[in-house]
Amino acid sequence: MSQATILQKVREIVALKLNVEPGRVQAETRLAEDLGVDSFGALELMFEIEEAFELKIADDDIEHIRSVNDIVQHLATWLAKVPAT
Amino acid sequence: MTKKRVVVTGLGVVASNGVGVDAFWRANKEGRSGITPLDAFDTQDFASRIGGQVRGFDPAQFMPEDTARRVDRFVHFGLACAAMALEASGLDLAAEDPDRIGVIVGSGLGGLLYHEEQMVAAFDRGTNRMNPAAVPRATPNAVASQIAIRHGLRGPNLVISTACASGAHAIGEALRKIQCGDAEVCLAGGVEAPLTQFNYGAYCALRVLSKRNADPAGASRPFDRERDGFVMSEGGAMLVLEERDRALRRGAPILAELAGYASNSGAHHMVMPDPSGADAARAMTAALRDSGVRQVDYISAHATSTRSNDIAETRAIKAVFGPDAGRIPVSATKSMIGHTLGAAGAIEAVVCVQAIADDFIPPTINLDHPDADCDLDYVARQGRPAKIRAAMSNSFGFGNCNAVLVFSPAL
Repeated sequence: MSQATILQKVREIVALKLNVEPGRVQAETRLAEDLGVDSFGALELMFEIEEAFELKIADDDIEHIRSVNDIVQHLATWLAKVPAT
Repeated sequence: MTKKRVVVTGLGVVASNGVGVDAFWRANKEGRSGITPLDAFDTQDFASRIGGQVRGFDPAQFMPEDTARRVDRFVHFGLACAAMALEASGLDLAAEDPDRIGVIVGSGLGGLLYHEEQMVAAFDRGTNRMNPAAVPRATPNAVASQIAIRHGLRGPNLVISTACASGAHAIGEALRKIQCGDAEVCLAGGVEAPLTQFNYGAYCALRVLSKRNADPAGASRPFDRERDGFVMSEGGAMLVLEERDRALRRGAPILAELAGYASNSGAHHMVMPDPSGADAARAMTAALRDSGVRQVDYISAHATSTRSNDIAETRAIKAVFGPDAGRIPVSATKSMIGHTLGAAGAIEAVVCVQAIADDFIPPTINLDHPDADCDLDYVARQGRPAKIRAAMSNSFGFGNCNAVLVFSPAL
């Protein structure tokens, strides 16, 4: 999956989950500062991401996610590790 | 020390036979049932396939859409009823001290629907991937907390779980909180969203649900010898309870007084009432004493449409009122609403308040074949106008958790 595809999918999930205009969710958008996501909201969001991409994100990685782009970068790495089915 | 007096200044209700007090009360006066075939889940494996589903209810009418998406159905009912009751009470929350307003809600089951969905999903996808929202959505106290969060109410905040008496206990304990000065106002009531495949199946296994699938509206028939079990329903009700002097000062709409309350246990069995009705009689006597009222003119019976409950309650009423028992109209609105479990005591409190305020006693519908062991005036089939000096509401939960409330007119 290309980074552009991942970004598009992540933007859609974030916008839907947080009930915000898709235009407000760009690669550089920060979850807490720009979208008001608190720590519990971040857990919920990452759960949705896990569901959509069918993978499990390590807790240590979740702690380092600050922006939409962070999610995309981590997903690209994780998806590369998962053997294609 | 004289006890503080507590009045009802607002009502909110969601039931299978009516959403909102006006629609709900009209249905009860007219004897309209809310029981239908169930389509909330697949019932094909069950012997019972009917229930009181709340239809035409849009949670987003009563709360922000974002909140509606993030809470279980039992919280939808709680938030909706709280919003209706607050609006009716005319309370200006911005001008009130939020530390003095409590929220006490009864629920037998909590966020069962969400819990069930997440359990199935978790065991399906693997238990290492669970939804973090399962904790705050399923917990029974979500309902009281969400109401407090929504309206900024910072007083005592409790959820009470005593099976089918939960709503009555919540109202009674809120009365005590106001009487002892822990709060000046309480939102109190009960909610239940029990129509889930697992829960309905469990009650089927207990063999307590009516199998009259071909005649849903005729299935709940308290005190009728053709009864074959109760009908499970969902819904909720919330009351605004307020210390009387402050309600008078602010010119609040006083609908009735909550005059008395008592609770006890039959200490007998987890799902059977004491056949003698002695524990229910003790609770009724204690509530009467607590209220100080002399004359009861209406009893809203617990009356679930099971033979053991109908007979025990009839015995209890006779034990308490003696020769007077035959004079007092007793009605079972579960014949129309179905049994909403933890919400029932609160929904029936709304019935009592409305009966007093509107001088009208709702009927026990479907009472076509009187049971020889149930020989009181059950207001069969047709409601009637009546001046009510006091109304008693009985609630008896599984495990013999009894709660009795006494309401009187606003004087």
